[in-house]
Amino acid sequence: MSQPTQHAAVNVDEIEVVDGRAYENLEGWIPELASDDDVRTALEKAFDYRGDITLTFKNGERVEGYVFNRVTGKGLADSYVQYFPANAPDKRKTSYAEIARIEFSGKDRAAGKHWEAWVKKYAEKKAAGEKNIALHPEALD
Amino acid sequence: MGVPISQMWTVATYVLKKKLSGQKKYPLVLMLEPLFRCNLACAGCGKVQYPPHILKKQLSPEECFAAVEECGVPMVSIPGGEPLLHPQIVEIVNGLIARKIYIYLCTNALKLKERIHEFTPSKYLTFSVHLDGQREHHDMSVCKEGGYDEAIEGIKEAVKLGFRVTPNSTFFDGTDPNMVRAYFDEVMALGVEGIVLSPGYSYDKAPDQQHFLGRAKSRRLFRAILSNRKKSWKFNMSPLFLEFLMGKPDRNYECTPWGSPAYNIFGWQKPCYLLQDGYTDTFKELMETTHWEGYGTASGNPQCANCMVSCGYEPTAVNHGFGSLSGFFAMAKAALFSTYEDKGALDLLNNHTTFAAQHDQFVKIENIAPATRLEETRA
Repeated sequence: MSQPTQHAAVNVDEIEVVDGRAYENLEGWIPELASDDDVRTALEKAFDYRGDITLTFKNGERVEGYVFNRVTGKGLADSYVQYFPANAPDKRKTSYAEIARIEFSGKDRAAGKHWEAWVKKYAEKKAAGEKNIALHPEALD
Repeated sequence: MGVPISQMWTVATYVLKKKLSGQKKYPLVLMLEPLFRCNLACAGCGKVQYPPHILKKQLSPEECFAAVEECGVPMVSIPGGEPLLHPQIVEIVNGLIARKIYIYLCTNALKLKERIHEFTPSKYLTFSVHLDGQREHHDMSVCKEGGYDEAIEGIKEAVKLGFRVTPNSTFFDGTDPNMVRAYFDEVMALGVEGIVLSPGYSYDKAPDQQHFLGRAKSRRLFRAILSNRKKSWKFNMSPLFLEFLMGKPDRNYECTPWGSPAYNIFGWQKPCYLLQDGYTDTFKELMETTHWEGYGTASGNPQCANCMVSCGYEPTAVNHGFGSLSGFFAMAKAALFSTYEDKGALDLLNNHTTFAAQHDQFVKIENIAPATRLEETRA
């Protein structure tokens, strides 16, 4: 969040195991934007999302891109998102107030890439007698 | 100590100048990420999980130099992604050397042997090779059989050609401290300058974070690893940071999130290298608009609760060591009495069922079974 957050007082030095954050499956989600809070919440999730987002503006323009930043002000007009369009080289900035529709349209690049999935895949490949077992980066084209 | 005198002198005078000028918040190391693209696909690595059009982007040499000059640091760490995939990485490195900046080029070393001949040895340039332990542990960690052997080949070639080399290791919940100590013996025998290490951290945006290593467990693990040290082991780190990891009573440091600011294609990352709470266009804006009081363990921020990572806590240790008499004497003492004899730590090593709660998560590559719980993801 871009605003200061108050946190509960805990003695973290005594903690043996820390709870992580739950994973949210947002791929394909099209949130209802009925209120200002809906817009803020959806764009906060868009900022956290590891895939492209399609934004439709109130002037009808539609852009798909990766949302990498958001700055929240007092209202929608002075809050904005920053993103790299998928088909253009430069960063763009758009006010929350100009956004009419948000689609979590791109593939979630974080989904399924956790440690447990690798361990399971490794065990299966090893049992099948495979050699040089590895995970490979996804193709960029 | 593994850090050369000239580098220590540069950092010490930098810290003293900042102190004398009354500046309270200043960076020590720029985490310069010229690209996110990588030739590994390590499970849970939040640094590479982007759409292809983002992974294809990279900083130009001019953007890298501008970022370094903007924040004025004496040292730059170049992580990624994999920096050796950047077509202009040699130009970036040479430009930084010309500016007399100490560089830690962080690499998985898969392309090191192929590209090492493009670089020139310099006291300013260190190859910081990602190596998470002995062969089976590292291969599992980077999700690639043979990854350890390729990294070792790269290290050997770099050492042979006269480059500064430091293996850079991250250790996680369930790590066997005996394995780590044996690994220290292996890498020191290769002729590296010193070892760099850190406890792991789950990236804020990494997937499926259920549970990860708390600070109490981290301290126990590093007490077992770093006590009763062998004389042959050298560490390319602040000795006070290592004491912090071991849980020494006078080293209850707080995080210095502005100590290692991160710059990448998105801009200046708020608040630190590990968390992504947004970006600014300038370093000045980063320093002035980030709500620093909302980060670090004292803030109660759950995202910071398990963190003891070097990018936040080593700057605190360095500022203590070079910015106060008590810190300077503590560093001198650490250099003179570096074995840290500790019978309790020996007990932890000899009976590491002390770590039994984590044993079902420790993965043996030759004896693997589906894990019943998630191990924390990796930094």
